This record gives sequence, structure tokens and C-alpha cells, in this order.
Amino acid sequence: MSIYAVDGLDVRIDGKVVVEDVHFTVEAGQCVALVGESGSGKSQSCLAPFGLSPGIASGSALFGETELIGMSASTLRHLRGRDVGFVFQHPLTALTPHLTIGIQLSEAWQRGGAPAPSRGDMITALERVGLDEPDNRLDQFPHRLSGGQRQRALIAMAIAHKPKLLIADEPTSALDASLRTEIMLLLDSLRREDGLALLLVSHDLAAVAGHADQLVMLRDGQVEESGPADRLLATPQSAYGRDLVAATPKLTDPPPNLPETGARLMAAENIHVSFPRPGWRRERLRAVADASLTLHEGEALALVGGSGSGKSTLARAIARLGPKDAGLVRWRGETLPERKHMSRRHRSLIQPVFQDPTASLDPQWRVSDIIAEPLRHLRPDLAEPARAGLVRQVLQEVDLPDDFANRFPRELSGGQAQRVAIARALVSEPEMLLLDEATSALDVLVAGRVLDLLERLQHERNLALLFITHDLAVAKRLCHRIAVMEAGEIIEEGSTQQIIAAPTHPVTQKLIAASRA
Amino acid sequence: MRALLLRRLLTAIPTLLGVVILSFVLMRLAPGGPFDGERALDEDTRAALDAAYGLDLPLGEQIILYIGRILSGDFGPSLVYQDFTVSELIAQGLPNSLTIGGLALLLACTLGIGGGVWAAVRAGRWQDEAIMGTATLLTALPVFVTGPLFVLMFALGLGWLPVSGWEAGSPSHLILPVVALALPFAGAIAKLTRAGLARALNEDHVRTARARGLAERQVIARHALRPALVPVASYLGPAAAGLLTGAVIVETVFALPGLGRYFVQGALNRDYPLVLGVVTLYAGLIILFNLVADILYGWLDPRMRAE
Amino acid sequence: MTRSRLPLLIVAIIAIAALIVPPLLPWTHSAIDWDAVRAPLFAPGHLFGTDTVGRDLLARTLVGTRVTLAVALAAALVALVIGTVWGAIAGWYGGKVDEAMMRLVDGLYALPFMFVVILLMVVFGRSIILVFIGIGAVEWLTMARVVRGQVIALKERPFVIAAEAAGAPSSRILTGHILPNVAGVALAYLLLTVPQVVMVESFLSFLGLGVQEPLTSLGILVKEGADDMDLQPHALLIPGGVLVLIIICLTIAGERLRDRLSR
Repeated sequence: MSIYAVDGLDVRIDGKVVVEDVHFTVEAGQCVALVGESGSGKSQSCLAPFGLSPGIASGSALFGETELIGMSASTLRHLRGRDVGFVFQHPLTALTPHLTIGIQLSEAWQRGGAPAPSRGDMITALERVGLDEPDNRLDQFPHRLSGGQRQRALIAMAIAHKPKLLIADEPTSALDASLRTEIMLLLDSLRREDGLALLLVSHDLAAVAGHADQLVMLRDGQVEESGPADRLLATPQSAYGRDLVAATPKLTDPPPNLPETGARLMAAENIHVSFPRPGWRRERLRAVADASLTLHEGEALALVGGSGSGKSTLARAIARLGPKDAGLVRWRGETLPERKHMSRRHRSLIQPVFQDPTASLDPQWRVSDIIAEPLRHLRPDLAEPARAGLVRQVLQEVDLPDDFANRFPRELSGGQAQRVAIARALVSEPEMLLLDEATSALDVLVAGRVLDLLERLQHERNLALLFITHDLAVAKRLCHRIAVMEAGEIIEEGSTQQIIAAPTHPVTQKLIAASRA
Repeated sequence: MRALLLRRLLTAIPTLLGVVILSFVLMRLAPGGPFDGERALDEDTRAALDAAYGLDLPLGEQIILYIGRILSGDFGPSLVYQDFTVSELIAQGLPNSLTIGGLALLLACTLGIGGGVWAAVRAGRWQDEAIMGTATLLTALPVFVTGPLFVLMFALGLGWLPVSGWEAGSPSHLILPVVALALPFAGAIAKLTRAGLARALNEDHVRTARARGLAERQVIARHALRPALVPVASYLGPAAAGLLTGAVIVETVFALPGLGRYFVQGALNRDYPLVLGVVTLYAGLIILFNLVADILYGWLDPRMRAE
Repeated sequence: MTRSRLPLLIVAIIAIAALIVPPLLPWTHSAIDWDAVRAPLFAPGHLFGTDTVGRDLLARTLVGTRVTLAVALAAALVALVIGTVWGAIAGWYGGKVDEAMMRLVDGLYALPFMFVVILLMVVFGRSIILVFIGIGAVEWLTMARVVRGQVIALKERPFVIAAEAAGAPSSRILTGHILPNVAGVALAYLLLTVPQVVMVESFLSFLGLGVQEPLTSLGILVKEGADDMDLQPHALLIPGGVLVLIIICLTIAGERLRDRLSR
């Protein structure tokens, strides 16, 4: 008898059907992953039967032999407390800020009807999930722990009452690549040791591959395809499945067709950046220490590292969009001055594209004005008709129809907004694009299409790219070289093939291992 | 946390000093002094009075003298209530004002937080709309409208409660003024509480608590209430200032012997020492209250305790 | 006509009535009708009756409303301008400039401003200009904090950095990107400030420190009504009611706008 079996599940929110005829089964010790883009209904399918979402579930959801559909809220609540554990996406906000870890763990422990745990019990529980200094952690407030530590604490709390089923909704999406692997391995070991059944929800196929036994692909609330994970990944049957698998970049993909590179374009030498600490302390926070990079015409360099490694800070310092304490930036040999002394031509050389597409467009401006803004300041020689012509041209280049020019950012989807941002970056004819996690906030399929666009632009415009990313597989797709950063320093640099095949620094090795999963 | 409090105290001192000096200078600049009253005085008497009250010294010296005297608790004699020193007036009036203000604050918090929690729990339903509508109405009722209105309705109309005055130990005299003073703040606190709790109930950590199988009441009490009350704690500083101001009206309308009423009389009659004393005292009280609010804030949200 | 427009409409109607109707009435706000002292409601020639001296209450209420609204609007605009400029500069330049400017605001916040305003009234006489300035001086602090908060949040948004990359100078970024995005919130707080100002002005008038004869304001009318309320309750209720109505409508409108913008 399976732990949890769902059949013919429908979920309605305010009368609208968001999940239709979903079915899957989870056995003890097994991991089933629901995969799909945002809006596919994957979260609703998991949460609604347990009464944790505003949606109303109908159909059948059997927990052991108990039918969940139609249960009263309080009975569901007791069931949740006793037999099911939940782990959610954002460790930063999933813990109550004003209660210590120990108090919250103790609360979770007693839900199963067990008496209050002793301090020793709790320390053991925290050790089991790999949390360091468990004795201290019990008395700390959540904001003192890092993201990875909080997620471990949350997992400890989710299994404290010895549930049969653990439901994890995007447990690793907010974490770094290397942490992701560690958390997934932790979940794997818990399955093995306790016979825990695991129901995973994720938008990232790569994250669950290698850990899930069964995959269920959802789109628009319906099951597109489901079956054993390795078979599905190797030979997807549905068109959607094939798209999804193809769009997920993997390290094992064949090397891409990269354009030829030319003369040396940009050289950043010995860049240092530091920030003042808030409060009384005088010593500054070192963000980038003695970093040097070079970039050639038409070359794409990936700047890779965990969060806090300084990659964005370094890139902005190079592009003159952020502070710089010391160091030089040379463009074709000549040193670039401070931003205010730069000529218009200089300013148009490097243009940025940011991570969050909607935040990078002024909500009060129309698309045409947004794209034309660089022209107004960097090409004042152009009259209005010529300007409008360029705007239209560049809109075409990013595959957006003409009538988009009159829209406002709120009328655009994430992918469309990012294309507008790219169009804005292109309109002043830059020679180098700075892409700061430009695809990380997009759904897999949408991100794939944006990467296709960037690839095309690379070839057509002979653009140099400085691509900041934490995902090595994405780096491999577009970039000639990779530079790895950690704690403000560039610890390893080389051609993409070389770094991926034979990394020398332990941090790089960890990143490769994480992306390989 | 300690660093924050220390910093607050340090900024408090220049603020207080600034208030004292500002008020002092203003009073001295005013045309006419306390003795330009009904009768014209002859030169000698005038000079003697000025000397007695120190009004003939240069401004800077007067300020320094004054500050020195304040620090030893001497605010000088009242120029209008001539049998009393300002300190004595303060000792008489302050407890009354504090009683009224304190009771009003207690009532406002009880009604406001209670109403706000209930509305948030029934969010979207008629109880929510009703309570919030009432709360908005309450915030729009200035004390000087509700005060006379209450007297009209409950004292003159129904004869339940006394019209005005104060008898030590007689609670019935306090009911109308305290309620009138408390109502607008109850409304504001109710709105803040409801907004705070409604937001807190949508937070991720509340979802975790619900997922854990806790009863809704426990979820609210343990996990949602404290973050929800953070905006209320921030509001307590301005609320204190507002209560002191409102107390002035209430004391006038209900003829209560509080410090606010003395202040207004003093201001209208140019009783410098009294006015200066009250302004300084009230500034100090408000600063103290802001400090208490900060401590409360730190207890509600441990992230604030970090230096 | 959406629900959020209704409160503003009510205030607009009251304001227009206050402006247009008085010249059409037979009695001005200060003319004394010796034959009809303390006339009740609906007395001939006096729709709202008359006060203790014989002045027409309808005219007085309308003129009082006019004065109260005018003072409130002017003072709120003063607060808006000072607060926005202060907050924008502090927020945009940040660092030591921000610290110094906001330290001042924090210090002023702690003052029992009402008392200082009363002091000012007493010292400098009771002129209407002073009423504007005094009240504006109290209310700009909140506006400064709100605007500064907005500017700081906006400063970090990628579209501002992108504008820098596009070559826009600081002044253009402030006027083209920052201020339009701040305008909405500033307007919402303006709508919330006006009722505050109305209350402050009425409070001062109630104490005898605000608007002076021959002008009248709602605060004065409430005071006069309160003095005589056992004989003529409507003299308290009518100006009181108008006052409360104006405050509620503006508060609701301001809050709805603020909530809609913070989504």
C-alpha cells in the first residue's frame, strides 16, 4: 500500500480550475518530483489536498487508507501535524523571527503527540541534518543563520515528529548551486534511513534529476507526461517534455558553436572594491580584492561564483556603474576615466542587462521611451525620426512585434520584459554586454529562448559578453572562458572546456559537482 | 540594542536643550511681558519686579541661569498663579494629566488591538468592514468635538455622569474625558493592528506553523501577533505626543485640574516660567516614551536587537 | 464612479458649496440679525438658525468651511514641498548628508510640536500666515520620511542603474525616473495630511489661538457651539458634523490611494 496516492485530482480557486485530473503515487522511501513552470499548478496539487492553499480539491487523495478530500479542516490539521512534514521555498522567511530555533523545533517535535524533547534529543536532530554548532543554534534566532543553515533547520523541524511523508515545495530554488546538492543529498539520505516518502515540487528539472525516482511533468494544471525519471529524461515522449529537457542546459551537452574572438577589447587590472560597514565599526567590508580580467572582441566570459562572492560588484565596477576603490580598466589599450569624465562614445561601450526584468524597466515609461533613453543621452545627434527608426529596428532584432512599443512594463511577461531590457542595451551599439544573472529569474523554457536570442546576437553583432551566473551549465552554453570567484577573489580562470573537464580549485570542483547532478 | 538606546539618549539631550533654548528665546522675544497687564506700573516697581524675576539680565545669562536651575528641579515661580512655584503646579497638575493620559492609552490599546485582531481574523467579512469603518470614523473625531458631544449626550441629556470638574477618588468624573481622549487613538491602533496582522497571517513563517498542524488560535498567538504589533509599537511615540496634546483639550472642556490647562492659561497670560517648564517637561516625557517604544519594538522583533 | 472617488466627490461638493453659496445668501457670516437671536433650525431666513449673537449659522458654517479648507490645503502644500525636497535630497545623496538631515527630522519628531506652535502663536500674534507656517512645519516631517524611504528604495532598482548606463545625468534621473514614481505616494500622503492639518487648525481655533475675528473657522464654530450646547445643540452638531465628514472623506481617499500604490 502506497503512502500517498492521488487520482483524478482537481483543484479550483474561486471557481477557476487550476489543476485538472492529476495523478501520481508515492511509496515509502521513494521520491516523486512534480516539475513544471510557474502557473503549472504543481504547488497547488500538493498543498490543496492538505488544506494549505485557498484552492478546493476534489477527486481522490489517499493518505494510506484515509481519504483526504472532504475531510474537515481540523481533522486535516491533526493529520498534517502527525504524519506529514512540509518544507517550503524561502528559508529566509519560513522561520518565525521572534522565536529561537530550539523553541520552534520543540514545537514541531510535539506535534506527533510525543512529549517535549530534551535538549540532547534536539541536538542530535540538528546534527542529523548537518547543522553545525547545534548546541548554540538552539538558542539563536533565525536571522543569525545563513540560508543553507536555515533550510537544514527547517528540514529538521519537518521530520521532528517522524512523519511518513515529506512534501518539499521548491526546497532548493533560493539556494546556491553547491548548497542545492547538499540539501538534495540530505533528503536522499533521510529517505534511505527512515523510509520517508518524498514529494518534491520544482521548476528546475536539473535540480531533481538524479534524485527523483518518478517524474510528473505539469503544464497549465494538467499532466503532460509522467513516469520513471531516468526514462523520461533520456527519451521524453511528449512535445512539452522534449522542450523542457532540451531547454535545461546540462554540463554533458555537446560544446556549442561559439563565434571567433578577435583582438583584446577590455582589460581590468587589480580592481579593489570595499563598502563601509553600517554602524559604529570603522573597518570596511571587502567585496572585491585585486581582481583582473580580460575580454576580447566577440568573446563571452562567464563570471561564476556563489552569492556574496563579489561577481556583481566586480562587473559593475568594470562597467563604471558601481564604486571602485582602486584598479584600472583599459579599453583597447587606453585607460577609461571616471564615469563623469567619460565621453558619450565611451559610455555606450558597455551596457547592462539585469536579473529582474520587471524591476529594470521604469513602470511609468512606455517601452519605446525606455528603449530610446540611451539614444537621447548618448546619440543627441539623432533626430526624432531616426531615433524611432532605430527603436523599431532593435525591437525586431529581439523578436518583439512593433505594437509592443506603446506598452507599459506591467503589460509584459517576464520574458518579454527581458527582451525589452536587451533591446535597450543594444540600441546604442555597444561592443560589450554585461549580463547580471539575466536568465536566473525566468522560467526554464523562457530562459532557454532568451539564451537562444543572446547566442544569435553574439554571432550577428560580434558582441563581447560578460555573463554573471551561478549556473555553470548556462555558462557552458554561451561562453568561451570561465572565471570563478570566491570571497572577492578570482580563484580560477580558463577556457570553458578546461575548467569543466579538469577544475583545480576545490571551490570550482564543488560547483562542477553541483551542476553535474 | 544597548547601543541603540544609548544613541537615543545621547540625541535626546541636545533635543531637550534645543527645546529649552528655543522656547526661552521665543518667550523673551514676545512683545510685552507678564506685567503689561491691566494696570500700568510705575518705573521703580517695574524695575524691582524685573530684577526679582531676573528679567533684566542679558539673554544668554538668563538661559544659563535657567538651565542651571532646572537641573536642580527649580523651574521658578509662576508669574500668574503667584502663590505657587512652577514645580508645585507641575506636582499638582502632572499626576492628573498622566492619569487621564495613561488610562486613555490603556483603553485605546485594549480596544484598538482587540478590535484589530478580531477584524483581521475575520478579514473580508462583514465584521472586518464594520470594525474598520468604525475605526476610520473614530480617527476622524477630534477630541474637541466628542468632548462637548459626550457632555451633551451623557451628562446633560441622560444625566448619567457629571458634567465636569474633578473630585479626587471619584472615577465617574474620569469616564467621559478618558473615553473621549482614547477613541481616536483606539481607531488608529485598530487599523494598524488589523493591517499588521493581516499581513503577518500571509507570511511564510505562519504558513510553516499552519503546515505543522497548529490550531489557528495558537498560530496567531505564538507566531503572528508579535510581528503584527510592530507598527503599533512604532506608533506609540507619536501617540504619546498626541495624547498629551489631546489632554489639553479634554482638561479644558471638562474643567479638570491638569497640566495642559495650566499650560494654555500660562501661554495666554505670558507666564514664562510655567510655559517653559511645561514644554521642557513634555519634551522629556515624549523622549522617554519613544525610548520605551523602541524597547518594545526590540522585544517584538529580535532582528532589531542586533547592533 | 468608483468607490474610491466618492469621498473626494463629497469633499469637492462641500468645498464648492462653501465657495459659491455665501454670496447668494441674504445674511453674511458676521452680520447680526437683532430680531433673531438664538433662532432654531429652519427659522425664517435662517436655515440653520442663528448663534448667541444673532449671526446666521448657515453662512458662518460655509465661510468657516472655506477658511478651514483653505488653511488646510495651503499648509498641506507647504508640508508637501518642504518634505518632498528634504526627503528626496536626503534619500538620493545618502551617506553623511542623509544622516545629518534625518537626524534633524528625528530630533524634531520628538518635540511636543503642538506646544511650540502654541508658543509661536502667543509670541507672534495670531496671524493666519503663522497658522499656515506653524502647521506646515509640523507636518513636513512625516512627508520627508515617506519620500526619503521611497527614494532610497527606488535608487537601488535596476532601472535607475540602467538609466545611468544610458548616460542620463543625476538631475535627469531624479526628475524623469525618481520623482514620477514618488509622486503617487506623495499624493496619497498629501490627502492624509490635509485632515491632520484640519484637526490642528480647528484645535488651535478652539483654544482661541488660531483664526481670528472677523474670520471664522470650523474650530471656532465648534467652540461657540460647545459653549452654548445645552440650549442649541445643533450649533455644535452642524459644524462638528461637517468637520468630521471632511476629515473622514479625505482620510478614506488618501488611504485607498496609498493602498493601491503599495501593491
